[in-house]
Amino acid sequence: MTLAAPLANLAQWALLLAVAPLLRGLIQRAKARAQNRRGASLFRPYAELAKLLRKQDLVPDTASAVFRAAPVVSLAAMLVAAALVPVLWPAALLAGGGDFLVLVGLLALARFALLLGAWDGGSAFGGMGASREAMVSALAEAPLLLGLVAVAILAGSGSLAGMAQWTLGQTLVHFSPVYALAATALGLVAIAEAGRIPVDNPATHLELTMIHEAMVLEYSGPSLALLELAAAVKLSLLLALLAAVFFPWGMAPAPTPARLALALLLFLLKLAAGAVAIALIESTLAKLRMYQVPAYLGLASALALLAVACTALIR
Amino acid sequence: MGWIDAVAANLLASSAGLLLILALLMAATTRARTCILLFGLQSAVIAAQIAALARLHHFAEGWAVAALVVVVKVVAIPWVLLRITTALQTTPIAAAAIGPTASVFVGSGLILLSFAVVRPYVAELGVDPARLAAAVAVVLIGGLLMVTRRKALMQVLGLLVLENGIFLAALTTTLGMPLVVEIGISFDLLMWVFLMGLFVFRIRDTFDHVDVSRLRRLRG
Amino acid sequence: MLTLLLPLLVPLLAAVAVLAARRPGAAARVAGTAGVLELAAIAHAVIRIHLAGVLQAGPYLRADGLSAFFLVSIGLVFAFALAYSIGYLRHIPAGRFSSPRWFYALAFLFLFTMLAVYLSANLGLLWIFMEATTLASALLVGFYNTEGAVEAGWKYLMVCTVGIAFALFGTIVLYLAAVRSGVAGPQALDWAVLQAAAVRLRPAADLVKLAFVFAAVGYGTKVGFAPMHHWLPDAHAEAPSPISALLSAGLLNCALYALLRFNAIVGGALGPDFSHRILLGFGVLSLLLAALLIVVQRDLKRLLAYSSIEHMGVAAIGVGVGTPLALFGALLHLFNHSLAKSLLFFAAGNIRERYGNASLDEVRGLAQALPGTSVGLVAGGLAIAGLPPFGLFLSEFIILSALFATGHYVVAVVVLASFSVVFAALLHHVQPLLAGVAPAPERSFRTWWPGLAVMGVCGLCLLVLGVHLPAAFSRLLNAAVAVLRP
Repeated sequence: MTLAAPLANLAQWALLLAVAPLLRGLIQRAKARAQNRRGASLFRPYAELAKLLRKQDLVPDTASAVFRAAPVVSLAAMLVAAALVPVLWPAALLAGGGDFLVLVGLLALARFALLLGAWDGGSAFGGMGASREAMVSALAEAPLLLGLVAVAILAGSGSLAGMAQWTLGQTLVHFSPVYALAATALGLVAIAEAGRIPVDNPATHLELTMIHEAMVLEYSGPSLALLELAAAVKLSLLLALLAAVFFPWGMAPAPTPARLALALLLFLLKLAAGAVAIALIESTLAKLRMYQVPAYLGLASALALLAVACTALIR
Repeated sequence: MGWIDAVAANLLASSAGLLLILALLMAATTRARTCILLFGLQSAVIAAQIAALARLHHFAEGWAVAALVVVVKVVAIPWVLLRITTALQTTPIAAAAIGPTASVFVGSGLILLSFAVVRPYVAELGVDPARLAAAVAVVLIGGLLMVTRRKALMQVLGLLVLENGIFLAALTTTLGMPLVVEIGISFDLLMWVFLMGLFVFRIRDTFDHVDVSRLRRLRG
Repeated sequence: MLTLLLPLLVPLLAAVAVLAARRPGAAARVAGTAGVLELAAIAHAVIRIHLAGVLQAGPYLRADGLSAFFLVSIGLVFAFALAYSIGYLRHIPAGRFSSPRWFYALAFLFLFTMLAVYLSANLGLLWIFMEATTLASALLVGFYNTEGAVEAGWKYLMVCTVGIAFALFGTIVLYLAAVRSGVAGPQALDWAVLQAAAVRLRPAADLVKLAFVFAAVGYGTKVGFAPMHHWLPDAHAEAPSPISALLSAGLLNCALYALLRFNAIVGGALGPDFSHRILLGFGVLSLLLAALLIVVQRDLKRLLAYSSIEHMGVAAIGVGVGTPLALFGALLHLFNHSLAKSLLFFAAGNIRERYGNASLDEVRGLAQALPGTSVGLVAGGLAIAGLPPFGLFLSEFIILSALFATGHYVVAVVVLASFSVVFAALLHHVQPLLAGVAPAPERSFRTWWPGLAVMGVCGLCLLVLGVHLPAAFSRLLNAAVAVLRP
């Protein structure tokens, strides 16, 4: 029976990776429906990844090893980060004390690798996208950290699994102001980190509006597939993080197959709800202009700061 | 019906957090329409609070007051204000003396200040400190909106938020005022919004703008 | 029951009737008739109150000696203002909400709200109707629809409503203190109940202090205390002159009445020192600021508005001293000030109609162009400066002697110095108006003799009150003081 826990952790890690492109497909389908179109198949992103893996990997003449290494480092960091998030039950493959800091660090590492790769590609778009991404991520880092710190103080635990465990013990309707503030802040930051509207448009290729797309513009073939997968894993990771910390009810208290199956079902439901919410936001709001993004992230920072302050003020 | 009571009690305790978030969002917003919708949401949360209190303390007046708040502050006043914004057709970006980022941080400071202000009274009054602090914070952020926003309609919203905060403070400490007084206050507020709307149009017709910081003819 | 309801119903019905009277001239006739009826209703109510001591009509309406005094004051001022405005409105251009019909209707609504403040038994209702006075008078302030009027109306609505919101908070805190001290729910807002049970509020002293501070700031905004006075010069200057008279001579008294009720309750609960010190502070500040600002004024109506602030400060000082003599003097001062300010605003109205503006720099040759009005202006100016034989001298003398009797020597010196400054400034400002040659009028203007007659009556009352207080009037004042100092 001692194998049950590691098996469950392995399963939930694999789940996060497998479900990532499906999440992308779901968002695209929901957006199409919101715009009165039929939309492509839910499994289209898998087909796209397969197609990219078959294609040739073109590398610019001026690029160095950094350009080729960036996608690998980015995806590797995402995979390790995915192992930190509790999905089906309040434990994870690499869980440990203070692992929310490790998570933030890994996200930063992935982003940094991509930034360097984009610069190294030598095109104007790469540099421009990299500098924009640097601005957004510099401002998004603080609320992400502070929001997680606030919940960590409230839960009395530094690990994401511990936070999920604590939240499981609370009732759904009675949440402290710290909770509400941290949830709002992290929700705003998740949109910024995942590169969705209103911060970045994942479907645009206009010079004025692209951030992430500008950075991956020079990549092709398997490298592009790795980067696309990394971005998809990042989105599913963030949604799973929000679900685990703020809506973990339904998670299995112990890794029994029956409870795990139920937890799987509920997790898929939560993910679907998150996807539909993102699709609705993307269909109704316009992308913020670049100079308004600091105001948006400033709001998230203020909310996160307040959450931390409130942990001391409200006992 | 015990679980309804439990839900009501929990909702009551959680409403402080919701109100704080809504207040900060109002400080962050630049468009008048968003602010009006947030005001409607805030009033809806307050109405829910009153309903929960009416349920928990079993007093019938509370339901009537909750219905009154819904009719006047969630439906009537936002509808009137939205009609005014449509008719005014000015630029939707409401100029402010300080930008949205600075507003948000000042708003956070005000929220922290309200926690500090409320502390000496909490022990004496025996109320939830988060709820009372949320009430004072809403008052202060209403004041912030009034002082920093330059468009006439945003000042109106600031005062409406301020009155919401005062109402909330009354709700948290006593169970609200007698019904007759509540009806009178709501009616006064509605009439005031009408008159302000009238004056906003007059300002626009007389001055060709609605920037109240430029109304400086009368001095000394 | 009907006694108290009648003075409230007549203005409401009159407003509706005036709006329905669409034929030219009919509005003025309806308004005049309604004014006479209203005066009769108020007189009837005052007599009944005097005979019965306290009149109660249902749980929400009550009148005692203090209410009776203020009813007499507002009744007289409204009658004078209405009589004056019937002639004044001949030259108003018709516009949306700007026709004589709307003027009378709004004026009657305004009167209704002020009367309702005086007759409310409940602090919550008092607040509601005080806010309603702001609402009713805002359109009157912005009546002319010029740039200045619209700006003044906006500021008035905004600042007064913010101030009143503070007063609401103060009322709520007082309600909280009463409820926690054991006064039953709906009764905890009733000012008679609160005044009687004031001693029971002593354990909640902190809350009562907080309540009074907020009420003083809130209602003080409507009285025009400095530093919350910025709306007053604008509103009183840009409004039509009869409305300025109603505002200065009626509304400011109304707000001070609310403060008097609060003062009685808080004084009974905490002892007199706290509330009196706050009122004295506001009074001295207002008096000083107004006296200094009167020196630099360039517009006659703004000067009169600052003079209102000054005299409200003097009345607040009287209330702040607190002895029965000082209270008598303060109430007498309010009455005299109403008469004198009405007289002055009527004169200013005539000047504005004749010259097109009321600017102290441009108006010249008044003695030659408008002899009756200039007599009124001079008499009013002397009265408002506090010179004998007009009534204000007597009331100011009473307040000063009360100040000396209670040892407030510094305050008394400040008061005397301010009076001297105001007197000099008034002389300096008014004298150039009279001399010189008047420019030709823009349109033909003849002073409407009933307007002059009204001014004459005001002046006569001031003279009479300065020489000898009629016995009935003395009884009225003493009954009012007895309410505040049982």
